[in-house]
Amino acid sequence: MDDLQLLREMRSDVGTPAQATLARGRNKLLGRIGAGADSGTMPDGGPRRRRVVARRVVLAAAAAAVLLGTLVAVDVVAPGGKPGATAEAAEVLNNAAAAAIKTSDPVVKPGQYLKVDTKAVYASSMTRAQGTTVSWLETQDGQVYVPADRSGEWVWNREARVPTTFFGKESKAEAQRYVASMNSGAGPQLEGVIRGKGGAFYDSPQQILGLPLLEAIKTLPREPRKLLDLIYKKNGDKGQTPESEALVTIADSLRTGVIPADLRAAMYKAAALIPGVIVADKQATLDGRKGVALGILWAEGKARQDIIVDPETGMMIGERNVSLAALDGIPANTAFGWTAVKISVVDSAP
Amino acid sequence: MNTDRDIIRRSRDSPAEFAALYDRHASVIYRYAARRAGDFVADDVTSETFLAAFEGLDSFDERWEDARPWLFGIATNLRRRHHRAEARLLKAMARSASREAGVDSTEVVAAQVDAATATARLAKSLKAMPAIDRETLLLYAWADLSYEGIAGAMGVPVGTVRSRLNRARRILRTGLGPVKLDETESDHGRLAAAPRNA
Repeated sequence: MDDLQLLREMRSDVGTPAQATLARGRNKLLGRIGAGADSGTMPDGGPRRRRVVARRVVLAAAAAAVLLGTLVAVDVVAPGGKPGATAEAAEVLNNAAAAAIKTSDPVVKPGQYLKVDTKAVYASSMTRAQGTTVSWLETQDGQVYVPADRSGEWVWNREARVPTTFFGKESKAEAQRYVASMNSGAGPQLEGVIRGKGGAFYDSPQQILGLPLLEAIKTLPREPRKLLDLIYKKNGDKGQTPESEALVTIADSLRTGVIPADLRAAMYKAAALIPGVIVADKQATLDGRKGVALGILWAEGKARQDIIVDPETGMMIGERNVSLAALDGIPANTAFGWTAVKISVVDSAP
Repeated sequence: MNTDRDIIRRSRDSPAEFAALYDRHASVIYRYAARRAGDFVADDVTSETFLAAFEGLDSFDERWEDARPWLFGIATNLRRRHHRAEARLLKAMARSASREAGVDSTEVVAAQVDAATATARLAKSLKAMPAIDRETLLLYAWADLSYEGIAGAMGVPVGTVRSRLNRARRILRTGLGPVKLDETESDHGRLAAAPRNA
């Protein structure tokens, strides 16, 4: 071996960035791109414009982050001083926790797979040359097949990403232009069957709370207060408020579909301790299934992050973001991003 | 056509396109920075590199198709702010490996000790050489840039890159000392890992 080969091997085992790290950097970049585009075309806008930019960034960030499996937001809202979730929300969450423990997890026998079927809708925003922002919704479904031995090979089938909902004519035109540019190869390749040992797709393990998923499932505390404190600690100053980011973290974790009942129960109970969590909708429907939506406000009260729980079984049906005011061309009261998760046991994977 | 240059050209009109360059190269920039100075620095350097690149689109030399020399050039400048982190890391590597060298020797352990010793000596040599030579050497060995790429990244003629590399490798070889080297494998040590832009 010569000196250069020795040098090449030195520290060759370090430096794979976590997906969350890359997502954060990408969000920063998208934020700058958005701000630059606006200030270039509207030089006299002042503080009002800056708010528009901030909102745009929130949406772009959400869209980009979901792509990489985390949800990061940009605005900062003063945290509320309440002691925990509302009594009503705490009751729903604690009952869901009890139900989660009573309902046993599906049993996956050797050779079988746990199939996590995800339907997802993301918001995309584009700042146009004249400084206006248009948004549209894209859907991308996918199925993750988790082998009985979770350290084995996981299979992820990602379906095509398709724009589905437009807010006006301009939105549709921008969406089509964007999709065409992505299909020409400008964007990352996002469809097809991907394989990864132990769920490490794209060569890096999936993470929740900054821990590799499989390790997190084993080691995360089952005591709700301890779990929530750990979530706050791991999130640091990421996100809009520690509270909204904590619920986002819980939603991110649960939508992997592989969180075992005891940890799922601890997550519900931890959510019940988050100040500002409310029952947002007792009859929420997501992908045709009904459940209770528990939410927390973010984006200065203009949006709400929900998790939707089936109170009978304690399963998480999904999670969603709802606009409470018009945002970048998205009308108020629109679910501008959601994920529905369905779990089953199957005998084979693609 | 979808070279880095195409993306950069398109992003002058529609800035959002620039994100595609991030998706393409962020992990490579991160990995290089992390090898040199750890994850904390890499996180900062990677995101700052792309912000700086986006704001300095005009500094991209259109004669290049590949944006990596440009991006590594920016990353190199930004990483200099963290030179202490690299110094600490090299110091620790030099020390920790020499501690392992005291282990009892079975054959397996001996092999490990050899690798550890080599790493410690490499770290010492890297630490000892002039910063500009270290920069050149690691852009070559860790960032897989060609001579021309390094010249582009550092803004110097190719001849300068060649002489800096020669000097740096001399220091490496001297530092490695008694570790057995097989010089016949290849003149430039390219056999094991050919760079993508060779």
